[in-house]
Amino acid sequence: MNKIVVALLVGFSFASGLFAQSSTPILSGGMQFVGTSNAGVDFFQPVISPVLAAPIGDHWLIESRGELQGFFAREDGTTGPYQGQFFTTLDYAQVDYIANSHLTVTVGRFLTPFNIYNERYGPAWIRNLQDPAIIYTIGTRTTASSNGFMFRGVAVAHDNWEWNYTAYFSALSNIKNLQSGRAAGGRTGIFLPDKGIEIGVSYQRFLQNGEYSAQGSYFVWQTPSVPLDVRAEYAHSPSGQGYWIEAAYRLAANRRNTTGLARLQPIARVQQFYAGTPSPTAFLPSRDTNRVDFGLNYYLPHEVRLNGSYGRQFTFRGNANIWDFQITYRFLFPAWPGGSK
Amino acid sequence: MKTVIPALATVLLLSALCLRIAARPQTSAEAQRAQTASHAKAKSSQEGERRFQANCGRCHNPPDSLSPREVKAVLQHMRVRAMLSAEDERLILKYLAP
Repeated sequence: MNKIVVALLVGFSFASGLFAQSSTPILSGGMQFVGTSNAGVDFFQPVISPVLAAPIGDHWLIESRGELQGFFAREDGTTGPYQGQFFTTLDYAQVDYIANSHLTVTVGRFLTPFNIYNERYGPAWIRNLQDPAIIYTIGTRTTASSNGFMFRGVAVAHDNWEWNYTAYFSALSNIKNLQSGRAAGGRTGIFLPDKGIEIGVSYQRFLQNGEYSAQGSYFVWQTPSVPLDVRAEYAHSPSGQGYWIEAAYRLAANRRNTTGLARLQPIARVQQFYAGTPSPTAFLPSRDTNRVDFGLNYYLPHEVRLNGSYGRQFTFRGNANIWDFQITYRFLFPAWPGGSK
Repeated sequence: MKTVIPALATVLLLSALCLRIAARPQTSAEAQRAQTASHAKAKSSQEGERRFQANCGRCHNPPDSLSPREVKAVLQHMRVRAMLSAEDERLILKYLAP
């Protein structure tokens, strides 16, 4: 027992010295409460999603994100008392070696890099609309996370353009909370910083249960002169193909303004999905589906955001209204004593 | 004695004037250097803000407040996530934690 205490103390001292030399590990992430009414069925989802980032020196980084999500709905769909349960997931737990600006090597569990939604707009405090895009599961099977290794970086960088890339391999895993598919793929894009434009393509080869490929492309335009963000994705797989395009406009003369009406951000998103060969494990609609969403963000001080949205879904079986209301809080604090100095 | 005191006073006055004249360009040069450094810092912060908007601002707003050591960890995290270059990291650090 004493040996364990001594070992822990030595470990603690070593870690303190290590982190003091570099930077403080941080605990960040988001908390969210979402209320949804989907075609008359009401449900609530409290979510907490902490992120740990622990740099070790200038080249190594350990980072991880988990999620604790609750789902509460009425017993019989539209009647009866509310009941529910909590689920846990581990989105990523990875070790990164930042060799230089051109290459970062990642080992462990990481977010599958297909198009931009999964990696960039997954966190609740970042995405503008609560419901993920219909085509979100294309190219990110089976769980949107991969277990294996990944290479990424900026291959070529100039003042007015950059060429970035990501390539990965994932092994099959059926371990609880660590599930992943056997797959390989990557993404590459061109970014024009002065124009705020990024355009790129993605590819995934799924290497189990009958091999198949998924392809995708994406476009991001953040206008430099006015606070307008336009994002779009297209994805194709044997189970179907589709696209989404989203625009969000901050009611301000410029991006620096954060007072009064500048805290408001109207959002609109249009989606179309064309069903292919149905597959129960693809998590895609078996019929053609169209959807339009309108939302409004209000950015309160202290990293709190309110969001309300209305969506109309058009399907072969019938149309439906989807209402969402959410409040999100983004937090960030040092994960190590004395870290805020 | 009567002549020594005015002579000493004259020498002191002249010395003071010489020192003042000599000191003037030095003060001006120091001020210029300080001004240049201040301009460079401001320019560097502006460039950091531009890079923040171009890279990080594509997905989210800047955080309310961060200490320099927290910023370092955040930037290393974002170096992997947003594929920031070492130069981006350096300039955004100056913008977020000047």
